[in-house]
Amino acid sequence: MVARVWSLMRFLIKGSLAGGAVYLVYDQDLLGPSDKSEAALRRAEEAVPPAVYQFSQYVCRQTGLQLPQLPAPPKIHFPIRESWNSGIIKVMSALSAAPSKAQEYSKEGWEFVKERTK
Amino acid sequence: MSESDLGRKWDRCLADAVVKIGTGFGLGVVFSLTFFKRRMWPLAFGSGMGLGMAYSNCQHDFQSPYLLHGKYVKEQEQ
Repeated sequence: MVARVWSLMRFLIKGSLAGGAVYLVYDQDLLGPSDKSEAALRRAEEAVPPAVYQFSQYVCRQTGLQLPQLPAPPKIHFPIRESWNSGIIKVMSALSAAPSKAQEYSKEGWEFVKERTK
Repeated sequence: MSESDLGRKWDRCLADAVVKIGTGFGLGVVFSLTFFKRRMWPLAFGSGMGLGMAYSNCQHDFQSPYLLHGKYVKEQEQ
Protein backbone atom coordinates (compact mmCIF):
# COMPACT_ATOMS: atom_id res chain seq x y z
CA MET A 1 0.00 0.00 0.00
CA VAL A 2 2.76 2.43 1.02
CA ALA A 3 4.92 1.32 -1.92
CA ARG A 4 2.04 1.97 -4.31
CA VAL A 5 1.41 5.43 -2.84
CA TRP A 6 5.13 6.17 -3.02
CA SER A 7 5.39 5.11 -6.65
CA LEU A 8 2.32 7.20 -7.47
CA MET A 9 3.88 10.20 -5.70
CA ARG A 10 7.12 9.66 -7.66
CA PHE A 11 5.20 9.50 -10.90
CA LEU A 12 3.30 12.68 -10.05
CA ILE A 13 6.50 14.53 -9.13
CA LYS A 14 8.25 13.43 -12.33
CA GLY A 15 5.16 14.22 -14.38
CA SER A 16 4.89 17.69 -12.88
CA LEU A 17 8.59 18.38 -13.56
CA ALA A 18 8.31 17.28 -17.16
CA GLY A 19 5.00 19.06 -17.60
CA GLY A 20 6.42 22.22 -16.07
CA ALA A 21 9.36 22.14 -18.47
CA VAL A 22 7.05 21.67 -21.44
CA TYR A 23 4.78 24.50 -20.22
CA LEU A 24 7.78 26.80 -19.77
CA VAL A 25 8.88 26.12 -23.34
CA TYR A 26 5.34 26.76 -24.60
CA ASP A 27 4.90 29.91 -22.52
CA GLN A 28 8.20 31.47 -23.61
CA ASP A 29 7.59 30.47 -27.25
CA LEU A 30 11.06 28.95 -27.47
CA LEU A 31 10.11 26.54 -30.23
CA GLY A 32 8.10 29.04 -32.23
CA PRO A 33 9.05 31.50 -34.97
CA SER A 34 12.59 32.81 -35.14
CA ASP A 35 11.59 36.32 -33.99
CA LYS A 36 10.22 35.03 -30.70
CA SER A 37 13.23 32.82 -29.98
CA GLU A 38 15.57 35.71 -30.83
CA ALA A 39 13.62 37.90 -28.37
CA ALA A 40 13.86 35.15 -25.73
CA LEU A 41 17.64 34.98 -26.27
CA ARG A 42 17.91 38.77 -25.82
CA ARG A 43 15.86 38.57 -22.61
CA ALA A 44 18.12 35.81 -21.31
CA GLU A 45 21.26 37.80 -22.25
CA GLU A 46 19.93 40.74 -20.26
CA ALA A 47 18.76 38.73 -17.27
CA VAL A 48 21.49 36.13 -16.73
CA PRO A 49 24.64 38.23 -15.95
CA PRO A 50 22.99 40.35 -13.21
CA ALA A 51 21.42 37.21 -11.75
CA VAL A 52 24.80 35.42 -11.71
CA TYR A 53 26.41 38.49 -10.15
CA GLN A 54 23.74 38.73 -7.43
CA PHE A 55 24.05 35.02 -6.70
CA SER A 56 27.83 35.32 -6.36
CA GLN A 57 27.38 38.32 -4.04
CA TYR A 58 24.91 36.31 -1.95
CA VAL A 59 27.34 33.37 -1.75
CA CYS A 60 30.15 35.74 -0.74
CA ARG A 61 27.98 37.27 1.98
CA GLN A 62 26.90 33.89 3.33
CA THR A 63 30.33 32.26 3.31
CA GLY A 64 32.44 35.31 4.02
CA LEU A 65 34.63 34.67 0.94
CA GLN A 66 35.98 37.66 -0.92
CA LEU A 67 36.13 37.25 -4.67
CA PRO A 68 39.10 39.08 -6.21
CA GLN A 69 38.22 41.85 -8.60
CA LEU A 70 39.29 40.64 -11.98
CA PRO A 71 40.22 43.27 -14.59
CA ALA A 72 37.71 43.74 -17.38
CA PRO A 73 38.33 41.43 -20.37
CA PRO A 74 39.80 43.19 -23.40
CA LYS A 75 37.30 44.04 -26.11
CA ILE A 76 38.56 42.32 -29.22
CA HIS A 77 37.26 44.00 -32.33
CA PHE A 78 38.23 41.76 -35.20
CA PRO A 79 36.08 42.44 -38.25
CA ILE A 80 35.81 38.92 -39.66
CA ARG A 81 33.39 39.98 -42.37
CA GLU A 82 35.66 42.74 -43.73
CA SER A 83 38.81 40.62 -43.69
CA TRP A 84 36.98 37.67 -45.28
CA ASN A 85 35.48 39.91 -47.96
CA SER A 86 38.78 41.60 -48.73
CA GLY A 87 40.49 38.19 -48.85
CA ILE A 88 37.94 36.90 -51.35
CA ILE A 89 38.29 40.05 -53.47
CA LYS A 90 42.10 39.75 -53.49
CA VAL A 91 42.02 36.06 -54.43
CA MET A 92 39.51 36.64 -57.23
CA SER A 93 41.38 39.62 -58.67
CA ALA A 94 44.64 37.63 -58.56
CA LEU A 95 42.94 34.73 -60.35
CA SER A 96 41.47 37.01 -63.00
CA ALA A 97 44.84 38.70 -63.59
CA ALA A 98 46.76 35.41 -63.54
CA PRO A 99 46.64 34.56 -67.30
CA SER A 100 47.83 38.00 -68.43
CA LYS A 101 50.50 38.08 -65.72
CA ALA A 102 51.67 34.60 -66.67
CA GLN A 103 51.89 35.68 -70.31
CA GLU A 104 53.85 38.78 -69.36
CA TYR A 105 56.29 36.89 -67.13
CA SER A 106 56.84 34.13 -69.66
CA LYS A 107 57.53 36.77 -72.35
CA GLU A 108 60.04 38.50 -70.08
CA GLY A 109 61.66 35.16 -69.24
CA TRP A 110 61.91 34.31 -72.90
CA GLU A 111 63.51 37.69 -73.69
CA PHE A 112 65.96 37.17 -70.82
CA VAL A 113 66.94 33.73 -72.10
CA LYS A 114 67.34 35.08 -75.64
CA GLU A 115 69.60 37.87 -74.35
CA ARG A 116 71.74 35.37 -72.51
CA THR A 117 72.13 32.97 -75.40
CA LYS A 118 73.15 35.69 -77.93
CA MET B 1 18.24 41.40 -50.52
CA SER B 2 20.91 43.84 -49.37
CA GLU B 3 24.06 42.85 -47.54
CA SER B 4 22.81 44.13 -44.18
CA ASP B 5 19.46 42.33 -44.56
CA LEU B 6 21.32 39.12 -45.36
CA GLY B 7 23.55 39.61 -42.32
CA ARG B 8 20.52 40.18 -40.10
CA LYS B 9 18.87 37.05 -41.45
CA TRP B 10 21.97 35.00 -40.72
CA ASP B 11 22.15 36.47 -37.20
CA ARG B 12 18.50 35.61 -36.62
CA CYS B 13 19.07 32.08 -37.96
CA LEU B 14 22.04 31.49 -35.66
CA ALA B 15 20.23 32.84 -32.60
CA ASP B 16 17.19 30.73 -33.46
CA ALA B 17 19.37 27.62 -33.91
CA VAL B 18 21.07 28.17 -30.55
CA VAL B 19 17.76 28.61 -28.74
CA LYS B 20 16.04 25.67 -30.40
CA ILE B 21 18.91 23.22 -30.02
CA GLY B 22 19.34 24.26 -26.39
CA THR B 23 15.63 23.92 -25.71
CA GLY B 24 15.49 20.51 -27.35
CA PHE B 25 18.53 19.40 -25.41
CA GLY B 26 17.05 20.69 -22.15
CA LEU B 27 13.75 18.95 -22.72
CA GLY B 28 15.66 15.80 -23.64
CA VAL B 29 17.58 16.02 -20.36
CA VAL B 30 14.37 16.46 -18.36
CA PHE B 31 12.62 13.55 -20.04
CA SER B 32 15.70 11.35 -19.88
CA LEU B 33 16.02 11.92 -16.14
CA THR B 34 12.33 11.57 -15.34
CA PHE B 35 10.92 8.87 -17.57
CA PHE B 36 13.65 7.17 -19.59
CA LYS B 37 16.12 5.99 -16.99
CA ARG B 38 18.98 8.34 -17.95
CA ARG B 39 19.32 7.01 -21.48
CA MET B 40 21.03 9.10 -24.15
CA TRP B 41 18.45 8.92 -26.90
CA PRO B 42 16.05 11.60 -25.58
CA LEU B 43 18.91 14.11 -25.63
CA ALA B 44 19.82 13.20 -29.19
CA PHE B 45 16.16 13.23 -30.21
CA GLY B 46 15.50 16.62 -28.61
CA SER B 47 18.62 18.23 -30.06
CA GLY B 48 17.83 16.78 -33.47
CA MET B 49 14.27 18.10 -33.34
CA GLY B 50 15.54 21.54 -32.36
CA LEU B 51 18.10 21.54 -35.17
CA GLY B 52 15.48 20.48 -37.69
CA MET B 53 13.05 23.19 -36.57
CA ALA B 54 15.76 25.83 -36.74
CA TYR B 55 16.80 24.66 -40.23
CA SER B 56 13.22 24.78 -41.41
CA ASN B 57 12.74 28.31 -40.03
CA CYS B 58 15.97 29.50 -41.67
CA GLN B 59 14.98 27.97 -44.99
CA HIS B 60 11.59 29.67 -44.86
CA ASP B 61 13.23 32.96 -43.92
CA PHE B 62 15.71 32.88 -46.81
CA GLN B 63 13.17 31.72 -49.35
CA SER B 64 10.68 34.49 -48.60
CA PRO B 65 12.82 37.61 -49.00
CA TYR B 66 9.91 40.07 -49.08
CA LEU B 67 8.46 39.05 -45.73
CA LEU B 68 9.22 41.77 -43.21
CA HIS B 69 10.22 40.87 -39.66
CA GLY B 70 9.11 42.89 -36.67
CA LYS B 71 11.33 43.61 -33.73
CA TYR B 72 10.37 43.27 -30.08
CA VAL B 73 11.14 46.57 -28.36
CA LYS B 74 11.06 47.01 -24.61
CA GLU B 75 8.40 49.44 -23.41
CA GLN B 76 9.91 52.66 -22.17
CA GLU B 77 8.39 53.79 -18.92
CA GLN B 78 7.33 57.45 -19.09
